[in-house]
Amino acid sequence: MINIQAVKSANEHLLLSSYCPEVLQVCVAFVLCSPQAVTGSPVDCPDQDTAGTSCTISLEKLLERAVQHAELIYRVSEESKLLFDEMLISFGMNLHVPEGTMCAPKTVPVPMSKSEIQQISDKWILHSVLILAQFWIDPLVDVQTSLENYENAPSALVNRSKWMSSKLMSLEQGILVLSRQILGEGGLALEVPEETPERFVSSSSFETVRRDYSAIYCFRKDAHKMQTFLKLLKCRQIDKENCTFF
Amino acid sequence: MRNSGAVLILTFIAKLISQAAGVSPPGKPRLTSCRSPEKETFTCWWEPGDDGGLPTTYALYYRLENSETVYECPDYRTAGENSCFFNKNDTSLWVNYNITVVATNALGKNISDPVEVDVVYIVQPNTPENVTAVVVHDDQGPFVRVSWEKPRTADTRSGWITLLYQLRVKQEKDKEWEEYDAGMQKYYNVFSLHPDKEYMVQVRCKPDHGFWSKWTQTTYVKMPNYIPRERSLWIMITIFSVFIVLILTWTLNVKRKSVKLCLLPPVPGPKIKGFDKQLLKSGKSEEVFNSLVIKGFPPTTDYVDLMVEYLEVYDNEEQELVLDGKDLSEDCMKSKSLSDSDSGRGSCDSRTLLLEKCMEGREGSGSDRHQYSQHGETSWASSESSESQGPEPGSPESTDGRVKTWPVVFSSPQPQPHHHYQNGAVKPAYHSVPEILSHLSPLATPSNYHQLPPQQEGRFSKPACRHSQSYNQFNLDGVNPPVPGVSQSHSLEYVEVQTVDPQNMLLLRPLSDPNREPEGSDYAGEDYSRVKEVTSNNILLLQREMSHQCMNDYNQDLDSQADQCTTQQPPHPCKPAIHQLNSGMPQEVMRVMGNGYVDSTVLMPTY
Repeated sequence: MINIQAVKSANEHLLLSSYCPEVLQVCVAFVLCSPQAVTGSPVDCPDQDTAGTSCTISLEKLLERAVQHAELIYRVSEESKLLFDEMLISFGMNLHVPEGTMCAPKTVPVPMSKSEIQQISDKWILHSVLILAQFWIDPLVDVQTSLENYENAPSALVNRSKWMSSKLMSLEQGILVLSRQILGEGGLALEVPEETPERFVSSSSFETVRRDYSAIYCFRKDAHKMQTFLKLLKCRQIDKENCTFF
Repeated sequence: MRNSGAVLILTFIAKLISQAAGVSPPGKPRLTSCRSPEKETFTCWWEPGDDGGLPTTYALYYRLENSETVYECPDYRTAGENSCFFNKNDTSLWVNYNITVVATNALGKNISDPVEVDVVYIVQPNTPENVTAVVVHDDQGPFVRVSWEKPRTADTRSGWITLLYQLRVKQEKDKEWEEYDAGMQKYYNVFSLHPDKEYMVQVRCKPDHGFWSKWTQTTYVKMPNYIPRERSLWIMITIFSVFIVLILTWTLNVKRKSVKLCLLPPVPGPKIKGFDKQLLKSGKSEEVFNSLVIKGFPPTTDYVDLMVEYLEVYDNEEQELVLDGKDLSEDCMKSKSLSDSDSGRGSCDSRTLLLEKCMEGREGSGSDRHQYSQHGETSWASSESSESQGPEPGSPESTDGRVKTWPVVFSSPQPQPHHHYQNGAVKPAYHSVPEILSHLSPLATPSNYHQLPPQQEGRFSKPACRHSQSYNQFNLDGVNPPVPGVSQSHSLEYVEVQTVDPQNMLLLRPLSDPNREPEGSDYAGEDYSRVKEVTSNNILLLQREMSHQCMNDYNQDLDSQADQCTTQQPPHPCKPAIHQLNSGMPQEVMRVMGNGYVDSTVLMPTY
């Protein structure tokens, strides 16, 4: 069951994040400095009568904030990848993206092209985003802890990884709220992940580094996916006529 | 074995032949770039290597990230030569493509290096379209509004792509472009363009993560000819101020004279009596300054008389404190002619000095006596007034009937040939007098200031001490024929003129008298001497009321005390009383005192 409090906190998280301007730096700084990245706090609703139920935010605003959230996450992930590349160069490791399956395929197929995306429904978009978000929360936490063990990891990279994991959780909560609003109660058949993704037990530092790098690399892609999906969803929901292209 | 050997040999020969013919397997091709204009399709281009002289074919193969299946490029033509076009169906996003190009010719093939491509990250949109620039007239001034449209292929409406735009502007002749970021909007207002100039405008766009598109074709816009408001304002201000300045200048010009008078007041000319500006302008300073010279000033002739510095203070016969020996010698020569420019004490002293020193040359100089008397008269006359006030050194003031210390100078304006004494006479006089005083004080012989009869002059011919003011003669009425006797009193005591009695007698009292009183004290008797007359030699002739014996005593004392010159007065009534004439003493009444000691130092101003 969906936790009302969790939903409220998710709303508030989306609210906070939506106030960030498009400028990444300012946003990241604001977000990183904000102490309530993870912990929830009561939401100030304009029309508050009873605790929780009547406090709603319009779909438009929700979608807008969700899109901004996803965009921000994507930018931070891109920066993280670049920072990691620099760090690898400073380590002297020439870690090229290895061939083969670097990014583990998802259990649920995710649309890969625009044509596919055009054909899927809103529900499916939401579902995909949710899956992705839920998938990446834990690996990001792992990456963050692993980066802290590095000798000369740049603090910017560590901070960003922290931020990304926290923001991803907020996004997940937001998606849940969206799905509630768009699809109604119980519209989204949540599939509990069958099993947690396999955890690498790194044998050597090289393997650890490689694992972390691949995590960031793949997360960057998935963040872009999420952003794209949410944009499409926003267009569909708000501007139905113009989005008939899909 | 033979076959393999034959094959090898044949291959070797084939190679040689091919090399001789210039053919070879193709060189390695190279993938230059892959681009997607709208994140839906993409195209890859490669660069062929050396074809080896033979017709070479190229094939592009790709493999998706998660599978091993190798596909070949679906479309070689759409994108042109040496390109491969992936349409929508073949484009998968967020998936890495592993692409290679293979070059094949008759002799062999060559494979390029593989390239990993994710379509999402190679987006480079097409250029914006329909760029228009129009001039908009506004209250602030005209500006240019540039507007454009998105590239046709980009799907920004659905949010599939988010494009950011950028434009740049410059004049034809400028080197650098002025760039402006327009964000996601499709128009932009450009301000601060110069009037009557033609500008070039270009626009390009970029997805939020991707590459910049190419710049559009140049669009030209011409600014109208207008005057910026601020500039027109400045022009008006300038004209107005120039106008004001002109008016002011003209007014000043009209009121030239009064302005000149106000700004440059006339310099007052010199108001020196006798100063002739014309002479100054003519450049002859000598004449100019000569005209300033007042005849008889400074009192050159009387410098000899004012020679206080010529006091000779004797400790003993041998010792002679020549204050200004040089001058003294000169002065002796001219003492006859010099009038006694007496400032009171000084002249008295000098007189004694002169007379004493110039004993030899004294005779036969009667002709000068008149001068002496004349000067002495005035000098003595001046000495009286010295009581009343201390004359300033070197400040001769002519007096009429008033006794001043430096009177004589003006009264006898005869040019004296003793100019050289002027300088020497003044300064040492006043400075040395105190010394003389101190030195003279021991001398208490009453005979200092006695004008002895000439016959007694000889006695004083050998004074041990210098005597000063021995010959003060105060006679305001007239000048009596000077008694040539240089009463060289060997005592060196100064006499203080205490009072002047109606008979024009200066009542003196010895300076060294410790018991002296500033005034009013009646030292009748032994301490004061009565001035009898002033000789022509500017000698004060003092009356001796005492008996002759006193005189003798004095003489004896003088002789006996020739060495001492102490101020201690011998305890006998004839002792001369030396009083210093204080400047503060009321001078109205002077009493004739006993002995004839006159303290000429009294007449000297206290310095």
